[in-house]
Amino acid sequence: MKCDLAIAGLGPVGAFGCGREALLAALADGRSPVGTTSLATPAGPVELPAFLADTASLERFVARRELRRIDHFSRMALLGAFLALEDAGMLGMERSRLGLVIASGYGAMRTTFTFLDSVFSGGDALASPTPFSNSVHNAAAAHVSMLLRAIGPSLTVSQFEMSVPSALLSAALWLVEERVDAVLFGGVDECGELLHYCWQRFFPAAGEARMQPLDFQRQSAVAGEGAAFMVLTRAADTIRPYARIRQVAQGNGAGVQPPLPQDAVLFLGADGHHRCGAAYGGLPAAAALAAYAPLYGSLPVGPAFDLTLAALSCRQGRLFPGPPGSCRGFDGAGETLAGRSICCLKYGSEGDYGLIRVES
Amino acid sequence: MQTKDKLKKILIEELNLEDMTADQIGDDEVLFGDGLGLDSLDAVELVVLVQKHFGIEIKDMDEGRAALQTIATLATYIDQRQTT
Amino acid sequence: MKGPAPVAVTGLGCCCGAGADLQECLATLFDDRRLPAAPTLFRTDHAVRYPVFQAPLAEPEQAELLRTSRLALTAAAEALADAGWSVEALRGLRVGVCLGTSIGSTISDEGFCRQLRAGSRPPLRPMQRILDSNPARTLARKFSCSGPCQTIVNACSSGSDAVGIAASWIRAGLCDLVLAGGADELGRVTYNGFSALMITDPEPVKPFDKNRKGLNLGEGAGMLVLESAALQQRQSRRARRGFVLGYGSSCDAHHLTAPHPQGLGLKRALREALQSSALAPAELAFVNAHGTGTPDNDRVESRVLHELLPEVPFLSTKGYTGHALGAAGAIEAVFTLACLQQGRIPASAGFAQPDPELPAAPVTATTTFAGIAALSQSLAFGGNNAVLALGRGEP
Repeated sequence: MKCDLAIAGLGPVGAFGCGREALLAALADGRSPVGTTSLATPAGPVELPAFLADTASLERFVARRELRRIDHFSRMALLGAFLALEDAGMLGMERSRLGLVIASGYGAMRTTFTFLDSVFSGGDALASPTPFSNSVHNAAAAHVSMLLRAIGPSLTVSQFEMSVPSALLSAALWLVEERVDAVLFGGVDECGELLHYCWQRFFPAAGEARMQPLDFQRQSAVAGEGAAFMVLTRAADTIRPYARIRQVAQGNGAGVQPPLPQDAVLFLGADGHHRCGAAYGGLPAAAALAAYAPLYGSLPVGPAFDLTLAALSCRQGRLFPGPPGSCRGFDGAGETLAGRSICCLKYGSEGDYGLIRVES
Repeated sequence: MQTKDKLKKILIEELNLEDMTADQIGDDEVLFGDGLGLDSLDAVELVVLVQKHFGIEIKDMDEGRAALQTIATLATYIDQRQTT
Repeated sequence: MKGPAPVAVTGLGCCCGAGADLQECLATLFDDRRLPAAPTLFRTDHAVRYPVFQAPLAEPEQAELLRTSRLALTAAAEALADAGWSVEALRGLRVGVCLGTSIGSTISDEGFCRQLRAGSRPPLRPMQRILDSNPARTLARKFSCSGPCQTIVNACSSGSDAVGIAASWIRAGLCDLVLAGGADELGRVTYNGFSALMITDPEPVKPFDKNRKGLNLGEGAGMLVLESAALQQRQSRRARRGFVLGYGSSCDAHHLTAPHPQGLGLKRALREALQSSALAPAELAFVNAHGTGTPDNDRVESRVLHELLPEVPFLSTKGYTGHALGAAGAIEAVFTLACLQQGRIPASAGFAQPDPELPAAPVTATTTFAGIAALSQSLAFGGNNAVLALGRGEP
């Protein structure tokens, strides 16, 4: 759909730190710290690289007591939500006309496992109700709504790697239909034991700590977690937004390719998975493109980070080379955007795609 | 350890009241609403915790409501059933 | 807020504890039959065997897809056939899929996780099945849909939200046709979870009754085919089944599992549904309430209906289906449209004794009406509320 929406505030949370400045610094430096996580195996513990997020600074916005039942997944979402509203200068606003849309590929995986653990250790009769209630996919939206007193429409979408473009369609429609005046929009996904085990089994040959997203044949993905939130408004109502969202499209296979705009710089959702890489291989050789997953890791809601980076690039009016090997068709530091739009493009594994076009 | 002290420890650890110490919870302080500030979800979690730590089953909330008023009422409920 | 724009519904499908297809379900509803039983899909070691409503869908030895997705496929095939669409005829159209679910999207498999916890290295097959079973993606793959694809996970209001959002895709011109609905399967996780929350009734569920103790879990899928006016004109087809007239949604922002005691969020959603469809309360034939049978839910709903729609009869169909969670709103949207077509609603099963605490009570017998619009409402964990305004099609 064609639209004219404004990105009025940003709240990214990830291995790079939290907040707009932390992400911008990582973008300018071309790197983000890779952590490690330990996975128990029958042969002993294995260390795996992962981009992990810390939410300690959430205590700046929420009293510790209020966080007592809130898990890591929801905390990342909360921190992203508060940062985005703060960045937009909207922390103090009245929130009856604010919608909330959250995208998550996998939901609160760790808490789901915690609930199962209560059954494994104590039997069905000792199933623990608190993790059960927090394992529903809309738990993060519930906590964000409660702590922000956001009483407008609320939506959580789970469409694996298409979660962000799909959810953004609904967020955009709410604004266009004037159901709401602003949408707090974000993507969130977390790492954890179950995820790391599956990764180790699905991609046994991998284990590199350096992602090479533009080497489409190579499996170089490193798991990541985090949240990328933003405040969306109608462009006509907004003074000096980061960027304007002019188009959102999401579709599926059946030989239908997304309508790629001429002359746009492509921010690819390529994140080191060779299974999805092939689709990107078919892009025009001359296209200017970048893939910034090495700044935030591989996670289903990666496109929310790409959109955040596109917004930052539009605000700066320039393109960043990013980590080594993550751009093509432009290089030198300081290349200006020069009126071009940025198109965030994500391919799924079955020919499904999501496309978000933004401009200054 | 007395049942009351054990309950306070369980409350702090398992309901994540890490900002409190056991002696800050009064025996007769109301657990829910304006007292300690616990809610309906904590109530059902407490039912599971009582079964897990004391082996005593609270079958439904009609029965639970009376027992779950304060640390003292809950301790009495548990002690009565553990000795019989 | 833009003015009303009805979206045509041309096909319906339903598979749940009340029957294998819509016709069977309606027979169950109007014969006042109730079929809850102890679960046979899985084993539990609970002392009390809480009854459930299982859908009549066989469980194969080696399932390629999660049961949720197989339920969705069953109802979608029925809805498309009801609308007169073949898979071939859909090719070339912009077809979207918008589905609600709750557990149908959860990345967890009890057997797999149990093995992992025990220190072994379980094979990945159950995880691969989950990755292959995203409900909306499953339908898009099966019916070669090229349009947008969205699985909504707003817990128990997901099915209603999916229908409301699908209608807005049609209005915005994003799609020619949308498969909209919801699907959710019964399983040990929800069975244990709801038992732990102490909101399951050990007997058949009794929505709005004085002696209600909680819900019975159900499962199933409800599916609607929505079509754009342009597509209908091109194919000279009629909105035989009815219309999505409006939709409202809101969040209580109050509690993770309990509804707002005054139903403030539900009221906002209800008002938005009426406003967006330009319906006056007097035009409503009935309300399909959420009516889960939990003490809190039914109290709040009864109060809100009494306050905002005191003259409008209401019912809960969960006495016939159990609570199918993410599918409930879609199943009930299907029932609401079918009841509008028939000009009657069944008795609200399980209700026998009025509760003096509740200011309004549901219908106790099959009730006929002349009205042509109705509401179907859902409340959910997380404080989500969703209300659909639906209109009658051709008889």
